[in-house]
Amino acid sequence: MNSTVVTYLSQSKELTLATEWLTKALGFNASSLVAFIVFAVVCLIVVGVMSTIGGLGTYAERKISADLQMRVGPNRVGPYGILQFLADGVKMILKEDIIPSGADRFTFILAPFLCLIGVFATLAVVPFSSGFMLADLNVGIFYLLGMASLVGVGVFLGGYASNSKWSMLGGMRGASQIISYEIPATITIISIVLLAGGLSMGTLIGGQGGMPQQWYLFHNPFSFIGFFIFFIASLAETNRAPFDLPEAESELVSGYHTEYSGMRFGLFALAEYIEVFVVCGVATALFLGGYKVPFDLGTGSILVEKLGMDEMLAKNLGQILEIGSFFTKTLGLYYVVIWVRWTLPRLRVDQLMTLCWKYLTPIAIFNLLGCAVWMYAFDGKSIYSLLFESVASVAGHH
Amino acid sequence: MFTNTLFLLSAALTIGGAFAVVYSENLMHACIFLLASFFGVAGLYACIGADFLAATQLVVYAGGVVILMLFAIMLTGGTANNFNRFGLEKIAAMGNKKTYFMAGITAVVSSLVLLKIIANVLRNQSSAALEANLPTVERIGTVLATDHILAFEISSVLLLGALIGAAVISRPRTEKND
Repeated sequence: MNSTVVTYLSQSKELTLATEWLTKALGFNASSLVAFIVFAVVCLIVVGVMSTIGGLGTYAERKISADLQMRVGPNRVGPYGILQFLADGVKMILKEDIIPSGADRFTFILAPFLCLIGVFATLAVVPFSSGFMLADLNVGIFYLLGMASLVGVGVFLGGYASNSKWSMLGGMRGASQIISYEIPATITIISIVLLAGGLSMGTLIGGQGGMPQQWYLFHNPFSFIGFFIFFIASLAETNRAPFDLPEAESELVSGYHTEYSGMRFGLFALAEYIEVFVVCGVATALFLGGYKVPFDLGTGSILVEKLGMDEMLAKNLGQILEIGSFFTKTLGLYYVVIWVRWTLPRLRVDQLMTLCWKYLTPIAIFNLLGCAVWMYAFDGKSIYSLLFESVASVAGHH
Repeated sequence: MFTNTLFLLSAALTIGGAFAVVYSENLMHACIFLLASFFGVAGLYACIGADFLAATQLVVYAGGVVILMLFAIMLTGGTANNFNRFGLEKIAAMGNKKTYFMAGITAVVSSLVLLKIIANVLRNQSSAALEANLPTVERIGTVLATDHILAFEISSVLLLGALIGAAVISRPRTEKND
């Protein structure tokens, strides 16, 4: 059975009691109703938290860029300027909502929502912890790829509908870039799927351990290269620098969202920042061990054994540790994404395509073959366990 | 209960999207409605427990095909003006006798074919209950690599051919006269 937040919470006594009480009060089996309510509440929480993270992403971006350029950055609203994103949000809502006269109204209004829907739909399979996952689909990572491609449609339509040269060029660049870089990213994901033997997020993370040597990043040389391929490709897929050609300020004013103002622009920005979080989360789940915590702390069994703690309490504690582990790794990658943006210059269009088709894609295919050969030759063992075993056997001889 | 709701929603999305595709005058809008229709079809697949097929539908159609169609429409300027320089409609829109005739014949033929296919299911109503959420990925993989290996290989050769063809067509022509 795949674990989701509903199945996890249904283990607790309180919820069982509440279900029984509701069943008596309403006169029918209320377990599915309770499951639905729990699911809806958790969905709202996830969307709210992710929107906040997206908002704080803009703050982090400004603060880190200010750091890298030896400026102060936003420091007026709230302590250290941390409420700046709320002020920005209020400003965007209050701004006049301009739709250009020549624009395709229907498409113009739809485009930011397509972006946002695509990103929010991917949140369903992001594994925050072993218990806190909205849905552990059997085809989790595949579903995520499909939903994320809606963002490309949104970017393209936004550019097309604006009736402006800059937007048009930005949208075209965005769409071509997104569908090009999906190829190396997907092939790299396939090579990790090969190692794990399943498409669901639970299987992908379950094959790894809490310690760094058990991560797929250090499983074999091919997956080590694969991580960087995936990271570069996902930078390009989220239109982040050095691949932010769709919104290249020096050439295209602001790219596909040139004509958008107010909250419509805000939705594009929000979608971008949440998508960065999602791809960082996917990179964490695939390569950096996901939510795994060392020493079986995640299941809480060691706490029950050594400290004699209540089982449910230990489990909850384990879940919190797992969420902490996932967010630490993901936000670390998030920092790297911002850091890269303010360090590297932007690529040219031809360089972008050359990088994707002549370098990343062949290397990704090579990695896929390499991973397959590794799985066949070494029986799926990681390089660490191979080395460890050979050292142990040598030590055993003496 | 939940599956029924999902089915009704996706069926409405599929049919509504399809109608909107046919009735919208703007090609670009038609393409967007087509996207909605594809999502509905993915939902229908999800209803019958074909999770891998549903995800594939999303990846292939929503991600690839719709964007390609949008590109094609945009590059050919399909939406700019529906009238040619003589004031005649370029796109035979709805309401043309010829299109109604062709669409009617196509609908009859395809529904007959469909009826033939689902006749078995209709005849014995007590079809086997759905197997609850069994992972289909492994079964599809096994069947593809064993029973249907020939079709699999042939389609891969076809794709390779398409890839090479695209490379040949899009290649810049080299001048030989120097």
